Amino acid sequence: MKLAWTYLRLGVLNEMQYRANFFVAIVQSLLGVAVAIAVLALVYSKTNALNGWTQSELLVVLGVQILLGGVIHATVQPNMERLTQEVQDGKLDFALSKPADSQLLISLRELRLWQLVDVMSGGIVIAVGVSRLGRSVGVGHAFAFLALLVIGASLLYCFWLILATGSFWVVSMWFLSDLFEGIYQVGRWPIGVYPGWLRYSMTYLVPIGFAVTVPAQALTHRLAWTTVLVAVAFAIVVFLVARRFWRFGVTKYSGASA
Amino acid sequence: MPPVTAVVHVAGLEKVFRVPEREAGLRASVRSLYARRWRDVRAVDGVSFDLEPGEVVGFLGPNGAGKTTTLKMLSGLLHPTGGEVTVLGHVPWRRERDYLRRITLVMGNRNQLQWDLPALDSFELNRAIYRLPRQQFTETRDELIELLDIEDLVRKPVRQLSLGERMKVEVVGSLLHLPQVLFLDEPTIGLDVTMQKRIRNFVAAYNERYGATVLLTSHYMADVEALCKRVVVIHHGQMLFDGKLEALADRFGAYKTIEAVLADGETISMQVPRNETSSATARLLAENDVSDLTVEDPPIEDVIEQVFAS
Amino acid sequence: MSSQPSALRSYVDFYATGMRTQIATQFQYRAATYMYTLGMVTEPVIYLVVWRTIANQHGGTVDGTGAGQIAAYYIVWTLVRTFNIVFTPFGWEERIREGQLSSQLLRPLHPVHYDMATFAGHKIPWLVMYAPIAVALSLVFHPTLDPRPIEVVVFIVAIWGAYVIRSLNHFVLGMLTLLTTRATSIFQIWFLGELLVSGRLVPLTFMPPWAQSIAAWLPFKWTFYFPIEALVGGMPTHALLTGLLWQCFWTGVGCVLVWASFKVAIRHYSAVGN
Repeated sequence: MKLAWTYLRLGVLNEMQYRANFFVAIVQSLLGVAVAIAVLALVYSKTNALNGWTQSELLVVLGVQILLGGVIHATVQPNMERLTQEVQDGKLDFALSKPADSQLLISLRELRLWQLVDVMSGGIVIAVGVSRLGRSVGVGHAFAFLALLVIGASLLYCFWLILATGSFWVVSMWFLSDLFEGIYQVGRWPIGVYPGWLRYSMTYLVPIGFAVTVPAQALTHRLAWTTVLVAVAFAIVVFLVARRFWRFGVTKYSGASA
Repeated sequence: MPPVTAVVHVAGLEKVFRVPEREAGLRASVRSLYARRWRDVRAVDGVSFDLEPGEVVGFLGPNGAGKTTTLKMLSGLLHPTGGEVTVLGHVPWRRERDYLRRITLVMGNRNQLQWDLPALDSFELNRAIYRLPRQQFTETRDELIELLDIEDLVRKPVRQLSLGERMKVEVVGSLLHLPQVLFLDEPTIGLDVTMQKRIRNFVAAYNERYGATVLLTSHYMADVEALCKRVVVIHHGQMLFDGKLEALADRFGAYKTIEAVLADGETISMQVPRNETSSATARLLAENDVSDLTVEDPPIEDVIEQVFAS
Repeated sequence: MSSQPSALRSYVDFYATGMRTQIATQFQYRAATYMYTLGMVTEPVIYLVVWRTIANQHGGTVDGTGAGQIAAYYIVWTLVRTFNIVFTPFGWEERIREGQLSSQLLRPLHPVHYDMATFAGHKIPWLVMYAPIAVALSLVFHPTLDPRPIEVVVFIVAIWGAYVIRSLNHFVLGMLTLLTTRATSIFQIWFLGELLVSGRLVPLTFMPPWAQSIAAWLPFKWTFYFPIEALVGGMPTHALLTGLLWQCFWTGVGCVLVWASFKVAIRHYSAVGN
């Protein structure tokens, strides 16, 4: 944990140097939210409910998607991008030779502080969505929501880690961020709208359904408590798989290769 | 008046950069977001020289002396703040195509080749960019490849080459259009000694074969000694010296090295201030039984060091 | 100039060589390209799924557009999107930092040609690799696609027109990097505008009328909506040809802006250095 704290501090200090990026991040976040809301407005100008979800409920889904996206962009993605780059350049030796858990280390080295702006905008969108629902959220549901958010974040982290570990086998992985960005957009809509094959793969293969839709269910009175249990169990399994896969991948690391 | 034969004519060349002032501390950097303070940096401050056709001239100076800035002005990348430059009768910063087809700028550590492809493919692209007739291009290419002995390297993807190998193909790539003027900025930086020597010999061979004019910067005095009869030295953007390489030692070398082999086989080596050379030699001869005696200028590195220390 | 025909030949030669070089590069990274495509394809698939759901809830159409037409729109979208991939204006910052801009300035060739040839070369391997994806999407979503020959011809011309327009526009945007440190924010706003009124998000006919009239005055719809509609929209012949004329117009505007912005930006760049 001390290690984590040190890296966090370094990351923050580093980012403070690039304050101009802060404005860029705000502009980017606002524009992103604006587009998403415009799309929602467009969709609901043609219909009242999408797969049984009202506009306000979808606003909550959107907020969760933006918020989690902010967390991932700030913490997970920069680390994973650095990992794949270092594997490709044969520079991972530095990280592997440190006397600390390698998975922990490679997951904590980078922080894009300003991306956390999206956490705020996501939070605001959620708040607006919830307030328009006309039904208050109980304490139990609020706690479930927070817990499910954490589970969602850790699922997305594991997903990214598994993808990035692939770089031990595949030389060029520049496309990972694009791939993740593309797939993550799926989370913008309730997982139920997708046709069966896509729904299942987006829930279990790529855990975006769990990560985004399930927390949103907690705030929109759609949550079945068994879902929480399944989510917890699923998160544990995925974490163990990711960790094993990482360990296996590291053994394939050959250092600088041509 | 500049000699009409000059290929490169530089007179009173100046370049002033405006750079934002950076201050430490949170408050200062927040302030710099809305009110930047600027400072003028005179990177090049009155540099003048002429290069004759076929000359190979070393362009020396410590880091930050303004060498690269000057080369960039000569090749047309930067617009001078003041002074006069003509190269091959062109004003470089206009970057006319006819001009660009007749020069090249090679920078060490810079890569212009397609990373994922064999250099031959990049060469082909250069042929199209420089609009070279196919026959002439093929001849030049094969000749340069043979000169550097890189037949194998040009068939491998560039990313698989070592730094030195990459530099060799890089140099060939920048000479395919047979430029008459070469600006070489640290072409041997980071290379091992053998590789440096190969590049150096190649530049010499190219110069000889095509009569090209070369202006070269290098941290390795071996490059300069092997290639350049003449050097131009700048410091803080100003001219310090322009003349023969040996004259540099005469002018700036503060000492000479006297080496004597005594009759009993013992060797004595001593450094003496240059104005005391003769008296020291006389004393040495008087006091010892000397069988052999040499008086040498210090190594060029030391001279250069002395120049910049002053 | 007396060497006019040979100048044209030189450009053709350069484009051919540049494209060949890129085709060779791209085929080396088939796996990566596929993954990238997969990420890219999710965007239209999402839109498609959402609009299809709405259509199904309302008797099979949205504003009179059937589910099959929506499917056709978004599947062709993917192809058009591929042709819209050009050198990103965000890339200029790295070009300047890494000294690639200097290398380009030393070549006796306008840099815009270099980017256009390079990315045109990308298209060929992309097309080959995209084909199976298009087939798969068609099997899943059953598009209604029955173009006339002239629509096919106009479509093929129009996707290249779209490529040229977008290349030129992005080059101009890239030049801003050399002039201001806030260029990124400008890009963001530009891309937002493009996303909203190009037809990328939804067919423009789904947009409110005021948005459609804004779109009419911007280049965006000619790089996205028009090529797609040319193939799937059943446009009358004169509308197809007028569309191509509009593309010519925006190409002309782009050329002028490229020429001017490059001149201004490079003058600035060579004055302040890097």
